[in-house]
Amino acid sequence: MNKLKLFISQRSPAIVVSRFVTTKKKIHDPNEEEQLPIFQYPVSKSSDRRVYVWGLAETGALGIHMPRYKKSGKKAYKNNFNLVWHPMRSSFCERFDVLKIACGYGFTVAAVKTTEQHKVFGTGINTDSQIGYHAPRIGHPLEMLLSPAPIYIPYTSLETKITGLAAGRAHTLIQTDNEGVYSVGNNAYGQCGRKINPNEEYRGSMASHNIKSLGKEKIIDVCCGQDHSLFITEGGRVYACGWGADGQTGLGTYNNQGHPALVKGDVTSENIVKVASTADCVLALNDKGELFGWGNSEYGQVPMSNNQQQVNMSYALVNFTKGLGKIVDVAAGGSFCLICNEQGDVFVWGFGLLGLGPNVQHSTRPKQIPAPLFGRNEFNPDSMITKVACGIGHLAAITDKGDLYMWGRNRHGCLGLGHDKDQHFPLKISIGAHVLSVHCSVDHTVAMCKPFT
Amino acid sequence: MTKLQLTLAIIKPHAVKNPVALSYIRNVIKNNFVVIKTKRIILDTEAAGNFYKEHVEKFFFNRLVTFMASGSIDLHIMGHVHAVELWRRMLGPTKVYKAQFQEPHCLRGMFGISDTRNVAHGSDSQSSAEREIKFFFPEFSFYNWHTNDEVRYRKGPIMFNNHLFQHVKKL
Repeated sequence: MNKLKLFISQRSPAIVVSRFVTTKKKIHDPNEEEQLPIFQYPVSKSSDRRVYVWGLAETGALGIHMPRYKKSGKKAYKNNFNLVWHPMRSSFCERFDVLKIACGYGFTVAAVKTTEQHKVFGTGINTDSQIGYHAPRIGHPLEMLLSPAPIYIPYTSLETKITGLAAGRAHTLIQTDNEGVYSVGNNAYGQCGRKINPNEEYRGSMASHNIKSLGKEKIIDVCCGQDHSLFITEGGRVYACGWGADGQTGLGTYNNQGHPALVKGDVTSENIVKVASTADCVLALNDKGELFGWGNSEYGQVPMSNNQQQVNMSYALVNFTKGLGKIVDVAAGGSFCLICNEQGDVFVWGFGLLGLGPNVQHSTRPKQIPAPLFGRNEFNPDSMITKVACGIGHLAAITDKGDLYMWGRNRHGCLGLGHDKDQHFPLKISIGAHVLSVHCSVDHTVAMCKPFT
Repeated sequence: MTKLQLTLAIIKPHAVKNPVALSYIRNVIKNNFVVIKTKRIILDTEAAGNFYKEHVEKFFFNRLVTFMASGSIDLHIMGHVHAVELWRRMLGPTKVYKAQFQEPHCLRGMFGISDTRNVAHGSDSQSSAEREIKFFFPEFSFYNWHTNDEVRYRKGPIMFNNHLFQHVKKL
């Protein structure tokens, strides 16, 4: 012990001395700066996509409840909260190259770029097997998925690519490049495009249906309302199936339609490039930028001369939209419609919080939402809206610069403004990326973006 | 001593299919009412048409009937001193597109999707409640209710059975 004390007492002055000795004055090297490694932040590829989600998370539709991989303890999931007030970056979409996204009522489906079996993932409510059969315990299918899981579809080839997705209240349509369209989920009205079986049990169902082609033409676009489905073929024909009680199938009847049939009326002779429907009203756009509509018209969404409330055939709305120029994008909400034209101006009509002022109002004519609200001012005179989207009660518009504006009914925080108060006029949503497309559902919203750099 | 009133609540197919909405609605029901009977059934279009035969002339009749026949629905016989009025006030205005702005926190404003998919049905008066309960619960005896059960449910002791989703007598 004494030896040790001695050792320390001898040693410590030496350390102090050596410190003085080893401290050298640094000689400046003129080339040092060039030799230093430069830290390079990774530059994103042009194909990189970021997906932001917000709204009601309790249903699992946002896919943010990731498992903790720890069985012990009470919390099995992280991010276990009910509402997402601000846009939140989805970590699922960082792990896969997401191509397409669609939002249904309380669920979300995403198609990823892969040559493996699992091309489409779904998360959220699964009471009608709209996102496939998932049973960790045999015979006990899950009614709700909190994190994304693959949907099994019997593709004939693994090289098949997903080219489109659409989701309704309880069914999903998956459009492929050369195998036609696959449908899963509820078929109580025939919205899956197959025969209606009144006693079918949809919970825990493994059925999927394949629609190879319609009228010997390839299907190039799909769209879902809440309980009906719409298909566009290569020749610009529109087919519909599902619930027709409001005339939303446009087949001239008010009956349910099992197999997709050609929509009657004015669209038959047109080359349709886009259809839009969220609830029970349908808008269609042809290659000349003219508007057509059918379905529910209780709030004047498809204005008819005889004030008909359920339009069961397609009608041209060319006179109605006269003077608005060539229309480039359309969106149909629950009680209103939203369009944007070539000049980037936005027009809205119907009932609800249309973005024209603080009061809930009914407009029978298309009214322009002032362009300065979408960021067109003297510093930015050429800003224009290129895309529009609608939920049941909320509206969204995207500018050519990639800014997202939203307004309307803020159900469960689906506007992403950080609160749940209704928004009376378009307001920019804070997302740190260039927004490419936005998908609105009843109570959540998903935006597909690309990084700024 | 006011007697308990009865009303019939029908949870419509889209709300039954949404676990989040259903658990919220069930919480509201069991905390505010005495639940006397609960049943889950699937209607066919014919039965739904009979039930809504007062609306047979209206333009939305076909829409309402096909919607009600599209999936399983939950039926609750509920008791409260002002059952009819209270349940209708909790539901809010019939038209969802208007209800969501007039009363954003009523059940229809929170979970309704469209004017037809408006979460739940509530009887509009005591006489129609009686007619509707007889329609869906032919085995329910109003005589027995007025003479025996009403006092028991009013004075208790009762407890809630989560499995049956109804109040039962506490033994």
